[in-house]
Amino acid sequence: MVKKRLIPKLLLKRRRLGTVERMVLVTTRGYEQVIEVGDPVSQAKIYEAQFADELIFLNIDSSPIEPQAPLLDVLRRAASETFMPIAAGGGVRTTDDFELLLANGADKVCVNSAAIADPSLIERAAAIFGAQCVVVSIDYRHDAQGSRVFVDGGRTATPLDPIEWAVRAAALGAGEILLTDIARDGSGEGLDLPTIRAVADRVSVPVIASGGCGLARHFVEGFLDGHAEAVAAGTFFCFRDQNPMQTRAHVRNAGVPIRVKT
Amino acid sequence: MAASPRRAVGIVDYRAGNLRSIANAFDHLGCEVVIVTREADFDGLTHLVLPGVGAFGHCAQNLRDSGLLPAVTRWALNDARPLLGICVGMQLLADASEELGEHAGLGWIHGRVQRLPAAERGVRLPHVGWNTVRFVAATAGFVAGESEDFYFDHTYGFFCADPRNIAAECTHGVTFAAAVRRDNIVAAQFHPEKSQDAGLRFLAGFLAST
Repeated sequence: MVKKRLIPKLLLKRRRLGTVERMVLVTTRGYEQVIEVGDPVSQAKIYEAQFADELIFLNIDSSPIEPQAPLLDVLRRAASETFMPIAAGGGVRTTDDFELLLANGADKVCVNSAAIADPSLIERAAAIFGAQCVVVSIDYRHDAQGSRVFVDGGRTATPLDPIEWAVRAAALGAGEILLTDIARDGSGEGLDLPTIRAVADRVSVPVIASGGCGLARHFVEGFLDGHAEAVAAGTFFCFRDQNPMQTRAHVRNAGVPIRVKT
Repeated sequence: MAASPRRAVGIVDYRAGNLRSIANAFDHLGCEVVIVTREADFDGLTHLVLPGVGAFGHCAQNLRDSGLLPAVTRWALNDARPLLGICVGMQLLADASEELGEHAGLGWIHGRVQRLPAAERGVRLPHVGWNTVRFVAATAGFVAGESEDFYFDHTYGFFCADPRNIAAECTHGVTFAAAVRRDNIVAAQFHPEKSQDAGLRFLAGFLAST
């Protein structure tokens, strides 16, 4: 049986240090309140030692993906020092961007705003790189207008409903759906289980749930109640006295099939 | 691997996915790594890897267009030297694939590449993540009867015509070949280069073959 996955999410931002631009690891709360926490590659190596199942790198500046982009340097270094699957995104606009990320160490690419602006990007990327390579990332909020998808790092509302958009993205060829409830991001209050389950029950591709993990129990809920294949977390693994190995033990003890490494 | 003879691993570059991770893993194991783009690159190699990510038809066409297929064929069939196929690089060894139309494979290990049936409850496609691989024959340092988790990311599976070619099995709704072998050829549906310690052990086991 395929195992449920624990995925540390590494959010990156550009910082100018002297004359050099580098990417630093940050955490966010509600996609704001950015806190710098360290070096992404060092953290990736720690996560590998703790048997994380996979890593997601997201450039929250969404700066263009060009050959000199600092994001590519992070990916190259992470891929040469860890031997685990890497998804990368933030600022992906074109299939050329996919190609650059893949050539520099990513195994999968997360696409968000650009897939909403032009949904054919999902189809085209899946045709070239395979559906297993295309992760459609969906950021949403529940507010007085209902549930709506947001783009541009959570700043711009769209009229799309997150569940309907997830179903359409999967039909267009997305290999996985990464769902994030912006309001819960960094809150530690737990995952948005009703939306996660609604999506997971309507698509046949794996769903990665994210936003709100503050306790090991929240991961268990994502798997058992949310029907997610994977749960991703940033703040939880960065700040709490918790790591993927300890969380794995909680998840396993709850009866969820998960890779056992002791 | 410190005491073992020098290994030079060639990775066939036919524009079918990321070679960097495979190169990094062999580099980590202390090998010389050569990205093979022309026939002359075969000189001095001890092991050859046929990678592959993307759609089967796209990969098969690119391999034929690369001009490298005659040299790969000589290596694997005529000279019977160690070849490792990974992911679509494994699927290409089959007779044919039904991914996005019917496409001919190399036919070096008889079988067909077919979409995994997803009808069963709780089975999603693509098959993404860590799943248990059960070795049914001694392969790349693993012994028959051994089980270990490896990382998969695929929608189509290799179904062998001859069960003697099955090196390892995995179940995702249906049981398919996680690894196949024939004489000097071994191939994995999973990604050893992405499977942490278990994957490095598999690659080291491949390097031990001569």
